[in-house]
Amino acid sequence: MRLFINGELKDLAVGTDLAGLIQSLGLRPETLVSEVNLKIIQAADRAGFALSEGDRVELIQFVGGG
Amino acid sequence: MAATIDKIQSQDTYQINGKTFTSRLLVGTGKYATHELMAECLEASGTEMVTVALRRIPLDKKNEKNLLDFIDLKKYTLLPNTAGCYSAEEAIRVAHLARAAGLSDFIKLEVLFDEKTLLPDPLATLEATKILVKEGFTVMTYTSDDPVMAQKLEQAGAHAVMPAGSPIGSGQGVLNPNNIRIILEKLKCPVLIDAGVGSASDVAFAMELGVVAVLLNTAIAHAKDPLKMAYAMKNACEAGRLSYRAGRIPKKLYAQASTPDKDF
Repeated sequence: MRLFINGELKDLAVGTDLAGLIQSLGLRPETLVSEVNLKIIQAADRAGFALSEGDRVELIQFVGGG
Repeated sequence: MAATIDKIQSQDTYQINGKTFTSRLLVGTGKYATHELMAECLEASGTEMVTVALRRIPLDKKNEKNLLDFIDLKKYTLLPNTAGCYSAEEAIRVAHLARAAGLSDFIKLEVLFDEKTLLPDPLATLEATKILVKEGFTVMTYTSDDPVMAQKLEQAGAHAVMPAGSPIGSGQGVLNPNNIRIILEKLKCPVLIDAGVGSASDVAFAMELGVVAVLLNTAIAHAKDPLKMAYAMKNACEAGRLSYRAGRIPKKLYAQASTPDKDF
């Protein structure tokens, strides 16, 4: 299935959940905030959160700012 | 002497939505050459509250160090900002994301109008303030130095109102001290100068006006020697605050001799 991750179109195996996606990208789950189709998905809910074709996933972190 | 200094500095704290702070310098974490330098500057500045931003994780640079690895959360209160947002909806979305990280309910609300001036959109800022206050955030709102707008933001429930001294990153200092004085006279909530200061004297000047604190970033991060400037800002902030509390002499047109008349 194809979906958008941080604006980039990516191919993902059908059945991947959000926790699996974060793991496969090699990201530290405790350092990020996740949003799917503009809805925040809390860290505790990522496992088992099924992703679907066309979803817009945002993986956001704190960066330097003023 | 140490006891005298303690007497001078004692009990000069302030609160934002019930949380007590001693340092009156809030420091941004952007634009530093390295995370390590940023961490040193935060320490040298004596700050207790640091601003951060939220951005997409670059998927091609996933092994980059995380900013939070360099910020001691036991020592610093995180103040996430909504920088780069041009509508109330966007700013509210970013605030929700910031809170979802579970590290802070504070938000530096910033809703901009255009990229060249980075001036705030007053109407969108007011709208977002109302909503975020209702949602339980501690809202510290960036605004222009318009005294009417500052009062509207306080009425909307902002926990702190933060007029710009001059445009963000411009280093021009406080351009309209009279507006800041009027804002201070009218508002009961904490007023901070946010943005525009360039040097230690700008910070001291802002503090002498009576604002509770100053928020800055570029003035330290882009100084030739950021670490020295961070320490200079700490001292200027403390000096300006003490000068304000001490109460300056009125300005006079003519000389007033400091020495008694010569009598022999």
